[in-house]
Amino acid sequence: MFALDPLFSGTFDGAVFLIVLAKVVIAFALLLVSVLFMIWFERKLHADMSNRLGPNRAGPFGILQTLADGIKFFFKEDLLPDRADKRIFILAPFLSLVPAFLVFSVIPLGGVFTAEKQGIVTVFGRETYVQLADPPIGVLLILACSSIAVYGVMLAGWSSGSKYPLLGSVRATAQMVSYEAALGLSVIAVVMLAGSLSTHDMVMVQAGEGFGGILPRWNLIATGVVPFVIFVIAGTAELNRPPFDLVEAEQELVGGFHTEYSSIRFALFFLAEFMNTVTMSAIIVTLFLGGPAGPTFFGPALMWGPIWFASKLFLFLFMFVWLRATLPRFRYDQLMDLGWKVLIPISLGWMLLLASLNVAGDAGWNTFVVAGAAVLIGLVAYLMLAGAIATSARRREQAELEGSIR
Amino acid sequence: MGQYLPVFMLAVLAILFAAISRVASQLLAPSATTVAKRSPYECGIVPGRETLERFPVRFYLIAMIFIVFDIEIIFLYPWAVIYRNLGAGGLFEVLVFTLSVLVSFVYLLSNGALDWGPAKQSRVLSPMVSADRTTLTTVRRVGLDGRPDGDVNHDEEAA
Repeated sequence: MFALDPLFSGTFDGAVFLIVLAKVVIAFALLLVSVLFMIWFERKLHADMSNRLGPNRAGPFGILQTLADGIKFFFKEDLLPDRADKRIFILAPFLSLVPAFLVFSVIPLGGVFTAEKQGIVTVFGRETYVQLADPPIGVLLILACSSIAVYGVMLAGWSSGSKYPLLGSVRATAQMVSYEAALGLSVIAVVMLAGSLSTHDMVMVQAGEGFGGILPRWNLIATGVVPFVIFVIAGTAELNRPPFDLVEAEQELVGGFHTEYSSIRFALFFLAEFMNTVTMSAIIVTLFLGGPAGPTFFGPALMWGPIWFASKLFLFLFMFVWLRATLPRFRYDQLMDLGWKVLIPISLGWMLLLASLNVAGDAGWNTFVVAGAAVLIGLVAYLMLAGAIATSARRREQAELEGSIR
Repeated sequence: MGQYLPVFMLAVLAILFAAISRVASQLLAPSATTVAKRSPYECGIVPGRETLERFPVRFYLIAMIFIVFDIEIIFLYPWAVIYRNLGAGGLFEVLVFTLSVLVSFVYLLSNGALDWGPAKQSRVLSPMVSADRTTLTTVRRVGLDGRPDGDVNHDEEAA
């Protein structure tokens, strides 16, 4: 079941190395171009949604605006604050940027996912996948990189030696760490269906005819929508995008953790942020919407993988901009309550429910009895949690009445 | 380990990219720094206080509670990959494991470890704060004394 990239199953020679090099450069360029596009797209669409013009000077429809801004950053003065912890201050943008690149390496971008082809393409007589790498721990690599990215944000704020960045980074760390738990739990449902951590296997499981011959066999439906919704919410929070952008709440924190950063250092943070937006959309597409798998119509079958992938990706990029243009920011206690008291229990419970139903199906137990037992256990767990929250609220009110500080 | 070669190469490329842009910026950017520019950003005023070195302990609590959950999640992943082979026994063990995490979570919740912001408003508000008190009831109309009817809106209605 552990399908690995067939490129490395044979002997390792110069041709393999060249193919890997070409893939790396293409993926790198693709990511940068998509980020340039995403920044322009966000500014333009957000402008449209708030009845403004948006960027319209550099190039047709202002599409070169991001490039112009990027070049401008090189010519800006690079300030190193006096009170900053210099080494860490310099290191932080790199810690933010490099993991943002790495996540993209496990995203399947194309290929024909039929039973015979298995998403394998032949390049220069060598068989490989249309994805940079397919390590057996695929999904864990994604989670690991998003954990490392927290360090970039945290150290940036902490080393700036300034108030607003420190507050912003402390908030960011608590927020990202909280939602990472929900994120990890909702992915487990997908892992259970694929029986593997490799992203290629996950796309493979979702390819082909599904439910009733009309609906696709996406994990979105197979896991029962709940993990998808939780993943999208937790992913938005993980990206620090609105409505979860307390990290850089302008009204309170100026610019959040990157207030003290200027010039190219700031540009690297900005790049990492949008790169994460693009890769998070790509991860959602891969895990829940079947990635590049989809029906083929005319022309070469290979053409349709990237087309499906790009159109699904675009849907989520649009969604992220739409969220930003529409929703007001959360309050911090609401944000923490949503993460810990709603998303984590629900995703854990849902994952166990799916597992119980599948195990019961395999063992030939009565589905209704199992479902009834699951509902009963869920109800008990809910009552326990609700009781705990009520107890805590009562205690705090008591403490406030007595005037003691908690 | 061949599967990780592309990841490693992409990491090298990303580091190169970051390093080159850093060097380019150093070569191209002007350097005209002053003390005011290098001081911490305080919206233009001279920083009056030292930067905070302490922040609320709740943030540390969140970090520690996260470890509990992160470990639970990381134990669940290997089980999730092969849970169909493990069958009922594996499911039962995971349920017991989840129960132990749930109990600790309930304990944390009931102790208020995950509560933020003020508790529910439990003080009785003074009678001065009430929905009945509006500008119409509390502001005395001046200059209407002696008119046939003191209705403010009368003129507008006539017009």
